[in-house]
Amino acid sequence: MTLKQGKNNQTYQVLSIDIEQKLERRLEALGLTQGTCITILNNDKKGALTAKFRGTRFALGRRIADHIKVKEVPCS
Amino acid sequence: MKHTINVGFIGNPNCGKTTLFNAYTGANLKVANWPGVTVEKKEGQTTYEGETFKLIDLPGIYSLSSYTMEETVSRQCILSDEVDVIVNVVDASCLERNLYLTLQLIELGKPVVLALNMMDIVEERGMEIDLHRLPEMLGIPAIPVSARKKTGLSILMHAVAHHKINRRQSPLIHHHPGLQSSHVHNHHSEYAMVYEDDIEDRIDSIITVLNKKYPELPNKRWHAIKLLEKDPDITRRYPLETDAIADRSYEKDIINQKYNFIEEIISEILVNKAEKEASTDKIDHYLTSRWLGLPIFLVIMALVFFLTFTVGDWLKGYFEIGLEKFSSFVAGRLTAMHTDPMLSSLILDGIIAGVGGILTFLPNIFILFLALAVLEDSGYMARVAFVMDDIMSHLGLSGRAFLPLLLGFGCTVPALMASRTLEHSKDRFKTILVTPFMSCSARLPIYVLFSSMFFGRNAMLVCYFLYLLGIAAAIATAYILSKIDGSRADHALLMELPEYKSPNAHTIAIYVWEKVMDYLSRAGTVIFIASVIMWVILNFGPAGYVTDISQSFGSLIGKFAAPLLKPAGLGYWQIVVALIAGIAAKEVVVSSCSVLFSIQNITSPSGMDSMVAALSSLGFGAANGLALMVFCLLYVPCTASIATMHRELGSAKKTFFIILYQLAVAWVMSVIVYHIALIF
Repeated sequence: MTLKQGKNNQTYQVLSIDIEQKLERRLEALGLTQGTCITILNNDKKGALTAKFRGTRFALGRRIADHIKVKEVPCS
Repeated sequence: MKHTINVGFIGNPNCGKTTLFNAYTGANLKVANWPGVTVEKKEGQTTYEGETFKLIDLPGIYSLSSYTMEETVSRQCILSDEVDVIVNVVDASCLERNLYLTLQLIELGKPVVLALNMMDIVEERGMEIDLHRLPEMLGIPAIPVSARKKTGLSILMHAVAHHKINRRQSPLIHHHPGLQSSHVHNHHSEYAMVYEDDIEDRIDSIITVLNKKYPELPNKRWHAIKLLEKDPDITRRYPLETDAIADRSYEKDIINQKYNFIEEIISEILVNKAEKEASTDKIDHYLTSRWLGLPIFLVIMALVFFLTFTVGDWLKGYFEIGLEKFSSFVAGRLTAMHTDPMLSSLILDGIIAGVGGILTFLPNIFILFLALAVLEDSGYMARVAFVMDDIMSHLGLSGRAFLPLLLGFGCTVPALMASRTLEHSKDRFKTILVTPFMSCSARLPIYVLFSSMFFGRNAMLVCYFLYLLGIAAAIATAYILSKIDGSRADHALLMELPEYKSPNAHTIAIYVWEKVMDYLSRAGTVIFIASVIMWVILNFGPAGYVTDISQSFGSLIGKFAAPLLKPAGLGYWQIVVALIAGIAAKEVVVSSCSVLFSIQNITSPSGMDSMVAALSSLGFGAANGLALMVFCLLYVPCTASIATMHRELGSAKKTFFIILYQLAVAWVMSVIVYHIALIF
């Protein structure tokens, strides 16, 4: 599933990010690497969502959220 | 002469770096741009135990790659001689992400001192950081500070002073349980960040090649890592046949392994990880909610403008009284000294009326920037980008473009500069095209003057309408453009939402001080010169010095151009001259009017009354006034904005197109508004 399909207050683990390399590197530099746990805070809108990873909240545009593959796992 | 220590302050955005920097330097800052780019550079000084420290505030960045201008600038500055010691400011309450930049900085090879900011928040949350273990793992000193409470400041400078002399890193003690390495070197005693064998082997191989080709190159390990990442800047500067060693970019691996090490650090040093940070989430529940987010945002904006007008106007009254007294005092002295009437006229009608008129708007501008600073410092500004992202997407703009547009309400120049955060040049062009439609604070004096002259108690409503009209023009332009070029929204918003905090008085004071000083220095230079030029145009004609304005150069120009503006109800040469003068800086329209109609203290009730009388004798009524305000809102931005636009776009053709477009929009809109207003 993609991050955009996730539910509020659920934690997911990042499987892969399939987006242009520059954006992928930027996300990784921010700490969104493979295996990172990401908690969705607000995915009510059709577009952007807010999520938290590595202790920081981020707003992620829809295209980014659509291209992050995640799986539902219990994350610490 | 004592040697000064150059200290570079660097850190993630929202880590409190600027607050810490300000705690050392106060308002005594030197603000300039980095050479060649429009990234702001701040410098200040502090002394500790007789040593002088020159502090440089580097841009807030998340990483040291060279993807953005800010990152490139910071990296170049740190590598140059401009920086002796790096102070890496980190938000201790979110170390995990902040330490990524730290690891990159340590690799650069210059002395790094870690300033653990926001330790008070760490304590509040019931967390503890092992301050003994952290330096052991990183090999650099870690000093707990609180920028807001100003604690730990001397200790930090003490560490900086010592670390400059003592370049050797602190001992590194790593355990790395379960990690078996077969790499030939044990780097764990030398470097904080040690990669997996595969990467370390490749680094060693590149260093061998570097040793042969660039023997003088300092810190070969860092260059090797950058070459392995295929960093565009370093590969260009040090071309090397490394394809056999680095068959691809290893950047992803390097980032991942850095984060793995960070996780190891966090697991060792962060004790008692209590999750007690719900307040931000609770606030966000409302402020970023699907239904409430936008209305709340609009209410906040309305509140900002309410404050700017009511409180600002109240303060403005006192400024005007002061100015009136000053003007009559000067007039008295000039008469007493039997000054030449021409010089008296220059001083009273040109300079005092022009510059002084602008100074009376200081309270409005002060409050506007105060409000913007509070919104920025509290953490709300970032939410705006999220709340607006969907709406902006419909216009083919990213949510991030909202920030420049929002800043446009303050001043078009920094707003245009902020468009640089957009990645695609198409996005940037569109944002630069529409940003000037956002009514900047310099246009406020025009609205305040004309709306209170013609609309009395409804003045505030009219002003709000103008702001909305500007937004509408921007939206329409962006929408039409996105239809023409078929550009789809990028939907690549990526923005940190910092924790909400009560705004810091010191930070806000310095922010507002800078803006106000900027406004004043403009009033002192551009507007001063514009006032004098205006005075010359209006007091000199083909026959030399004239006392009758209708014989002046100004009236000739105005009379020539007036028919063009007749359909908008603006076919008066005085108005045309004021509009031309307004290109120097928009607020000059007001001072020009005061000069053109020779009314001193135009913003006072009596001044306005005589202005209304002067205008109505020309047949210029409320509808004309409204059309004038609309024209001022939309026509060519000030010279400073045009210059910035040209610099940001790097194209005279595009800049010229934007100017023509804005003139056309201003003309069409003011014609429409004028004719609608005539009906009522």
